[in-house]
Amino acid sequence: MNPIFNQVWWIIGLPLIGFLIQCFFGKRVIEKLGAATGKRVMGSIAVLAIAGAFGLGLAITQALAQLPFDQRFVQVTLFDWIKIYSLSIPFEVRIDPLSMTMVLVITGIGSLIHLYATGYMAEEPDYPRFFAYLNLFVAFMLVLVMGNNLAMLFIGWEGVGLCSYLLIGFWYKDFANSLAANKAFIVNRIGDVGLALGMFLIVYLLASNQTALGINTTRWLSYDVIFEYLPKVLAEQPMMATAIAICLFIGACGKSAQFPLYLWLPDAMAGPTPVSALIHAATMVTAGVVLLNRMQVVFAASPIASAIVVIVGLFTAVFAALIAFGQTDIKKVLAYSTVSQLGLMFVACGAGYYWVGMFHVITHAFFKALLFLGSGAVIHAMAHEQDMRHYGNLRKYIPITFWSMFVGFIAIAGVPLTSGWFSKEEIIHDAIFSKLAVLGGVNIGNAAGWLTFGAALLTAIYMTRMMMLTFAGPQERWKLIPAAEGHGHPDHHHDDHHAHDHAHHEDHGPDVHGFFYSDEEMATKNEVHDDHHHHELDETHTPREVPVSMWMPLVILAVFSLGAGVWLKGYKQFPTLPKDTLEKWLEPVAYEAAKAHGGKHHSPVPYEHLIAPLGYWIGVAGIVIGVLWYMRGLPKSEGWDMSKWNPFRAAAREQFGFDRSMVDAGVEGGGVLGRFMWRVIDNRVVDGAVNGIGLLVAGFSKGFGALQTGLARTYALMMLLGTAGILGWLMYATGIFGGRG
Amino acid sequence: MQGILTSLILVPLVGSLGVAFLPEERRDLIRLTSMLTAILTFVLSLVMLGNFHGGSFHFQMVEKATWVERLGISYHLGVDGISVWLIVLTTFLMIISIWFSFYVQEKVKAYMALLLLLQAAMLGFFLSLDLILFFIFFELTLVPMYFLINIWGGQRRAYAAVKFFIYTAAGSILMLVGMIVLAWIHSQQYGMMTFDLVQIQSSIAKGEFWAGYMQLQAVIFWFFLIAFLVKVPMFPFHTWLPDAHVEAPTAGSVILAGVLLKMGTFGILRFVLPLFPDVIGQFVVPVMILAVVGILYGGIVAAVQPDVKKLVAYSSVAHMGFVMLGIFSLTHTGIQGGAIQQLNHGVSTGALFLLIGLIYERRHTRLFKDFGGLKAQMPIFATLFLIVMLSSVGLPGTNGFIGEFLALWGAFQAGMAGFNGLNVLIPAIAATGVIVAAVYLLIMFKDMFYGPNDNPENQRLKDLKPWEIAMMAPLIVLIFWGGLYPNTFFQKMDASLSAARLMAINEPGQRPMWSDLTHEIDGKGALVQVQPRKTIKEFVPIREISPAKMNFDRNETVLQAEVASQ
Repeated sequence: MNPIFNQVWWIIGLPLIGFLIQCFFGKRVIEKLGAATGKRVMGSIAVLAIAGAFGLGLAITQALAQLPFDQRFVQVTLFDWIKIYSLSIPFEVRIDPLSMTMVLVITGIGSLIHLYATGYMAEEPDYPRFFAYLNLFVAFMLVLVMGNNLAMLFIGWEGVGLCSYLLIGFWYKDFANSLAANKAFIVNRIGDVGLALGMFLIVYLLASNQTALGINTTRWLSYDVIFEYLPKVLAEQPMMATAIAICLFIGACGKSAQFPLYLWLPDAMAGPTPVSALIHAATMVTAGVVLLNRMQVVFAASPIASAIVVIVGLFTAVFAALIAFGQTDIKKVLAYSTVSQLGLMFVACGAGYYWVGMFHVITHAFFKALLFLGSGAVIHAMAHEQDMRHYGNLRKYIPITFWSMFVGFIAIAGVPLTSGWFSKEEIIHDAIFSKLAVLGGVNIGNAAGWLTFGAALLTAIYMTRMMMLTFAGPQERWKLIPAAEGHGHPDHHHDDHHAHDHAHHEDHGPDVHGFFYSDEEMATKNEVHDDHHHHELDETHTPREVPVSMWMPLVILAVFSLGAGVWLKGYKQFPTLPKDTLEKWLEPVAYEAAKAHGGKHHSPVPYEHLIAPLGYWIGVAGIVIGVLWYMRGLPKSEGWDMSKWNPFRAAAREQFGFDRSMVDAGVEGGGVLGRFMWRVIDNRVVDGAVNGIGLLVAGFSKGFGALQTGLARTYALMMLLGTAGILGWLMYATGIFGGRG
Repeated sequence: MQGILTSLILVPLVGSLGVAFLPEERRDLIRLTSMLTAILTFVLSLVMLGNFHGGSFHFQMVEKATWVERLGISYHLGVDGISVWLIVLTTFLMIISIWFSFYVQEKVKAYMALLLLLQAAMLGFFLSLDLILFFIFFELTLVPMYFLINIWGGQRRAYAAVKFFIYTAAGSILMLVGMIVLAWIHSQQYGMMTFDLVQIQSSIAKGEFWAGYMQLQAVIFWFFLIAFLVKVPMFPFHTWLPDAHVEAPTAGSVILAGVLLKMGTFGILRFVLPLFPDVIGQFVVPVMILAVVGILYGGIVAAVQPDVKKLVAYSSVAHMGFVMLGIFSLTHTGIQGGAIQQLNHGVSTGALFLLIGLIYERRHTRLFKDFGGLKAQMPIFATLFLIVMLSSVGLPGTNGFIGEFLALWGAFQAGMAGFNGLNVLIPAIAATGVIVAAVYLLIMFKDMFYGPNDNPENQRLKDLKPWEIAMMAPLIVLIFWGGLYPNTFFQKMDASLSAARLMAINEPGQRPMWSDLTHEIDGKGALVQVQPRKTIKEFVPIREISPAKMNFDRNETVLQAEVASQ
């Protein structure tokens, strides 16, 4: 075995070390070296940690590619995490094409986004905390994709959820952000429970057939054990495959924001934009697709579950696309677009073409990260204003951002030969020809494939809308905002300090140790960095191009957004280029039964001749429609949304009422239930019964007049009575008195 | 290591008396003496831990002396895998509690003396192998705790203290009756009374003890169980806990959550599993249902509490529900999970109460409406709180995950197999408890640390002092240790817990016996007969008495059914 495989732990270790450095030294370094230099140093360390992992990932991928085709699987064990008689879960890494593909995506795009963030967050006082969370996220994400058992996947799964929670709530002083963070964590937890139950089911199936299968290990959750033995069980009990698959898919729905668990993702845009790009577009939200790829062995065995995956994926894709039309926040448009694109990935997986799901994961990671980072650059240039109604004609001011975003735009819209076109076309094509997702004799995959054309058309239109509103048109709508009197800081706290005197001090009791409270100066110091917005958007504003650390990643990502499709898939007009690179690369992880549903030789389907031209032109058609539609820009005097489409847009903006009803049901309903349980059941029913007994005893004691009141005496009496009663009953029940013998 | 267990009880007892004789005004001397006593006890417990051998399920470092011969009462101490970590947890948490109690300004002498007395009683409880001795220590823990709540407590302290006392005492009376009946049955079967646990268990394992008293077994099972259910506490016996926690001083809350609640689950592992093997199976379902109700009920009620300490108190009901769920699954994985969850709950919830205590000493309030936005004001405090909160949420990588995960795992396996009539819905519903846990704990964190820091009272708060951080540090280390390398703990517990489980589920003759040193649990969890040996550390298996029966292997079950039908 190539010795480099033993170094694989450093891929996870480097980001983790980066995290620890940021945690323990970040603040001190910035204080010592001054804000500017300190931030540069800490930022570089953060970027280097991820870039180092990327370099190592490249080397290991290279080594893996040199192995013979059917031996591309290396397992490296670190130590036993949980080991008891009945089970053993080691920390073990699986090096195979799937995990290394994800490693390269995560660390590659991750280091670009880290680089971008050093510029984007430059004015942030809490700089090391941001990069600590970001590095930790990468570490957990790597654990998720590299672990060789479902338990390690689960560690990463919940770990990335934690980092997502921390980063959404990064600007925690705004209450809305912390609510969004909580929502993300809690909705994800619903999925996590599904995933956990799926794992338990797998363990049950393996363990309960231990003797029959001859399993002589207790590593129930390790992939090598699952892949070897689980298919044999599932062949006997096909319903269990459906049960497991549905449980796992619930988990995937949570993390990958599929209906109905997509609710958290739009709110997650409260986090800083690099976070949205890295976590909520390129990597974490694709974890569900990775899970389906890993567990092909289960999903391929269940046509019912596969059909459900296809239906949910397609519905989410269309539903989110419709919602995107109602959004005015540039990041929200991209968020719904992400939800929609994730839906397409699930259509591919449900149809049995798991590698195609991964293909779209990769291309989507490129162009969606690009679009998010571009939107961040726009937001940066527009004084942190995210409302597209205040944009317009920005291509004149920020050309680099515009052109790179334009590339991302044509890629997601599916203009031929861009990366998005390749992967989307592959999804549609394969779904139409697939034979896996059959429910009650209806080929769901086939139907979904055709309908996916509709989703693709919608995608192109709403993305055109976003680009037109932001970059096009003669209108520069922020100039309609009158300049405010003096760019004010929200400094309502400052008065409070003066009102606060030592009289307050006495209220919380004597400060005996004299160190609980600080003096006034310190309090003011703590409040200094209250606001990260340095000025407001108004007519005096002139958008400026972002610094090089920010546009450089944009340009690199633009190159990949354009070329990744040709690179990974090949094109018939370029015969010198290798073909089907990704499909061949991922073939070793494909499960045999899953391959049977795919294959190159499709049996004919109706209207087959329409697929190629539709695939070619649907994206372009969408762009044309969008341009015609939004060419005039926004009506100046009427404000926003006063067209005949207004009712639709208003409904779409509110997610057709779905989010509101779910959140209300959860929060309000839960609150009512909780208060009822507390105030009525706990305080009245249970305590009432107990206190009633107590009062009864106390009443006795008063009635006899022999005992004074007093709880100790009550207790003594109760004890006596109780003991006597119990003993009496016991003697009766057991016949000690000879009553029943 | 003869005598180390006695000294574990005696050192805090003597320390308590010594403190009581110190002059009240020499506060620093009192504090120093108490602290040194606690440290000495902790060191002793570490020595005990170092000498403890995890490969055997038998009691180790046993001390035995006759006490009341006619009634069969003896002074019998011993430690096994079930108690070993709880003892270390007790001595460890006591150091932290006494350290924190340097904040106490009133009646310092009585406070410290009571804490040390409480420690002696708790250690005695975990070490006793005689029923009467056990009962005495069980009752003895009530007295110091009662005074700690009643004298140093909050506004409704009298109510809370009495409620705590009555609930526990009422349960313990049932248990006392049960113990007397056990001794009486022994006298009926063998002609002499005994309260010796080891002796009683041995005759139960052989199937002789309960012969002819099967119905009584069910009754006594409930007598013991209810005493422990009150202590755990399980719904609907839990209402004393929120009151006691809210009113108790911080050190009291730490001990209450960290150790006293574990007396319930420990009692179940020590007594209920080994002593009632013939009836426990039929009562698994109701207990599991109570556990699930407790998990969801505790969580949902916690989510609407206005007081952070009360929230954590209700969260204890939910967390201890997972312990019960694991233990009563009667699967190997589940019991391991339940047992490790006890320890982890002690660490995490103890740490939460300490943190709440730290902020309470500063602000003298615990209401959510008084807080908000503390993260910028007290970053270190916020970070520590976050870590402890996440451990309570059960995030993988922290200790909280291991216990919950394994307990659910075990319960799920039992449910799928229909073991003892369980349905898989029970653990599946219990699993939703981890969603509820995220809800209330995140609400707690948000309300305290996020949002604007707009209460002027909070704007002058200083962050934690170095000594406060030092006090929290070992707990944080344990949180990660328990999450990343729980094997440290499993290695010492596995054999004893496996034995306790086999005592409960095996047929007579195949049950492990504490008295029989020729029985051991081997590396796969099977009960084997071993050659006679000099030390407890090594054994050479001769033959298998009972297979491991870990996983409801269908083939094994079929085989057993065939054997039974022949």
